[in-house]
Amino acid sequence: MTTDIGQWLGHLIGQVEGVQHRGRHARRQRLDVAPDALPALLELLQGKGSFVHLSAISCVDWPEDGQFELVYHVWSYELKTLVSAHIRIPREPGRYLSVYDIYKPAAFFERDIHEMYGVFFEGSPSMEKFILTEWDGPPPMRKEFDSENWVNDHFDWQDYHPDWLNDIESRGGGIAIRPDEQRFSRKAKHES
Amino acid sequence: MTSLSDIPVIQTPPEAPARGGNPLANVFDDFIRYCRSRSLFMLHYCTGCGAIELPPAMTSRFDMERIGIQPMVTPRQADILLVTGYVSVKTLKRIILTYEQMASPKYVIGICSCTVNGGMYWQSYATAKKLNDYLPVDLYIAGCMPRPEAVIEGLKALRDNIEAGTSDNWKDYYQRYDHYLGNQQRLFGADWQTPTEVIAEAKHYGLFGPDTLGEHTRRLEDHRKPLEPLRMTLNAGRLEHME
Amino acid sequence: MRAENYQSRAQPPSHEYELNFGPNHPGIEGNYALKVRLHGDTVIDAKADGGYLHRGFEKLMEQRLWIQNIALVPRICVPDPAPMELAYSMAVETLCGLEVPARAQWLRVLQMELSRVAAHLFTFGGHAATTGMYSTMFWGVADRDLILDLFEELTGGRVYHIYNLPGGVRRDVPDGFLDRVSATLDYLESRLADYDNLFFTNQVFITRARGIGPMSQQQALELGVTGPNLRATGLAFDVRRDDPYLVYDQIEFDIPTETAGDAWARTLVRRAELKESIRILRQVVARLPGIPGPIRAPIPNPLAWNVPAGEYYSRVESSKGELAWYVVSTGGAKPWRTHIRGPSAMHAVQVLETLVQGCRLEDVAQIMFSLDACPPEVDR
Repeated sequence: MTTDIGQWLGHLIGQVEGVQHRGRHARRQRLDVAPDALPALLELLQGKGSFVHLSAISCVDWPEDGQFELVYHVWSYELKTLVSAHIRIPREPGRYLSVYDIYKPAAFFERDIHEMYGVFFEGSPSMEKFILTEWDGPPPMRKEFDSENWVNDHFDWQDYHPDWLNDIESRGGGIAIRPDEQRFSRKAKHES
Repeated sequence: MTSLSDIPVIQTPPEAPARGGNPLANVFDDFIRYCRSRSLFMLHYCTGCGAIELPPAMTSRFDMERIGIQPMVTPRQADILLVTGYVSVKTLKRIILTYEQMASPKYVIGICSCTVNGGMYWQSYATAKKLNDYLPVDLYIAGCMPRPEAVIEGLKALRDNIEAGTSDNWKDYYQRYDHYLGNQQRLFGADWQTPTEVIAEAKHYGLFGPDTLGEHTRRLEDHRKPLEPLRMTLNAGRLEHME
Repeated sequence: MRAENYQSRAQPPSHEYELNFGPNHPGIEGNYALKVRLHGDTVIDAKADGGYLHRGFEKLMEQRLWIQNIALVPRICVPDPAPMELAYSMAVETLCGLEVPARAQWLRVLQMELSRVAAHLFTFGGHAATTGMYSTMFWGVADRDLILDLFEELTGGRVYHIYNLPGGVRRDVPDGFLDRVSATLDYLESRLADYDNLFFTNQVFITRARGIGPMSQQQALELGVTGPNLRATGLAFDVRRDDPYLVYDQIEFDIPTETAGDAWARTLVRRAELKESIRILRQVVARLPGIPGPIRAPIPNPLAWNVPAGEYYSRVESSKGELAWYVVSTGGAKPWRTHIRGPSAMHAVQVLETLVQGCRLEDVAQIMFSLDACPPEVDR
């Protein structure tokens, strides 16, 4: 079954240039696509291949390559196969085309990627913030954003010296590892 | 900044005025506190995951109502603000607005470990870590998440505290407003302000103290904006036709 | 009184106004908000506003070990946490090439279906409360507690179980546990007639729900609707059957569908699913004693566990729809990227915004609960 779909898919994507096909798991097919070819491929998959369900768009940050990887997971209710189309776009300026006109659910995922990674999708119906409306820091899901540092700069930790603990400590007991010593990052910060 | 033990628990077993040592001098105060502790309305605001243990606590099995506690949908009529679990920064703003709208006396309960110290999400950029920096917390119920029995046990402890007159942290918010406002401004930005006149209320309740005003409350004046009608734009200006 | 006092020129006409529906509102499910524009009491536009429950899970998971994340994932969806653990574990297992023992798979089915029953009972309760029928809420939540007791016995946790690990499950069933499961199922089945009388065939509810928030099958497919909401439009799609995982291909169950696609149909699908879940659970109870074997595949030292590089998209059917994890590993001790695709992310934003157009204000809560959207899962 899988090989049939593999062959069929290979035939289908032969019509689009710049597509590599790999299938490793049951009912999962991976396509590596050139960024320019993706809208045409998705249109083909939806129109001829019955892949009508856009399950998700995932974004992966690869700072060492200076790239964002966008993964479009589409599912066919008839072929019962999930195709993941991978593209890589440069991290700067981080712009890509919206696929909203092919798949409506893309609006949510593109909006989400925009606020979490700062990738701008041209043609998406709304690029305004949804979750992080009251956040003015950098896009938090980028690898260079260190949330632990941000937390240490903006929040205080509860201090623990309740009276009942003093009693226990005077009798030789107490907390073995205090919470502030467990937070390695804080410890390193204090030492430096 | 503060730790729990720094929050002064204001002891107001009102000192018996020397009326010839009349044992009945405080009977009305005691009676009022007793009544107050027996009819508590809890604001129904599900702020985090701990809210999932409240329906069992409220409904047939554990039945919170038998200790006189019922959910209430509006802040103005509520006595208890139950912060059930982690508060994201976005929610924290709403919680502070809600808290300031509630009528005194009012009580704040922090449920779940996340309100105490951040809990599982201590690394998260989105959640506030220590609720008593921003609001005067009367009682914490720790656990991830506390069982309905623990919630009810905590509410009973609050009831007993109210009856004994030891649960008066709402006064601390007025007396040390500058401290709380400073922490709020640190997180939300220097132009943070709420529509409630907390300072005027502090004077009204006779709780205006030396720490009510300070450097942070002075900033309020700098950023004071007249309240404007709420403006909402829906999808792509489709409603801009109104004249 | 002058005429301009009635209608200011700068303001919209007084019969058209905006309302913040939530986040602190009894008619909204969880900490979530809808901004609606009303004409009289008819909704003419709506905009969802999320992020009140945002915790940054995807960022947190990148900073923790593979095994630590197991404690984190169930917290994403509070009413139905079990499928989260399962989907994440399945992704890690596929990346490591771990073979899960048969007994563990059956135990996982047991956990999934108990969780589904609990989640549906909870939804019925909340849904009934939006129509003012609080008795159903009291019953639903109390009956759900029976399942939470079973969870407590099996896993130690009432709400968050952290029962799955990559490679298997944490504990085997205690002695006599399956009998107690059977007894609970008998009780729940006997209660269904009562629920029918009280709620599902109650004329009050039918009048309130029928024809509310209708969705055609084509519209549902376009908007990426999954789960019971999709099945209420007539398409019998279920990840358990069409993209099988665990041992669902060895279990007999039907996929209930309805065709109307409105709030009433969605509720009926869930009610039928409750019955199907009970049927699955009975098969698990009957077959589990005959399945020997370990409950866990051997895994390396979990504190120094480098999962081989790769990526996988694992999907399960949660009580709300298709739930998927996209997990990327670069061979390190921590995930490089995890992305969660929750079913509610679709239902609570685009679908809800579309369906409330033109409905009346009092039906907004009805539509939201009938979609069974779960805000913590939207916000992550």
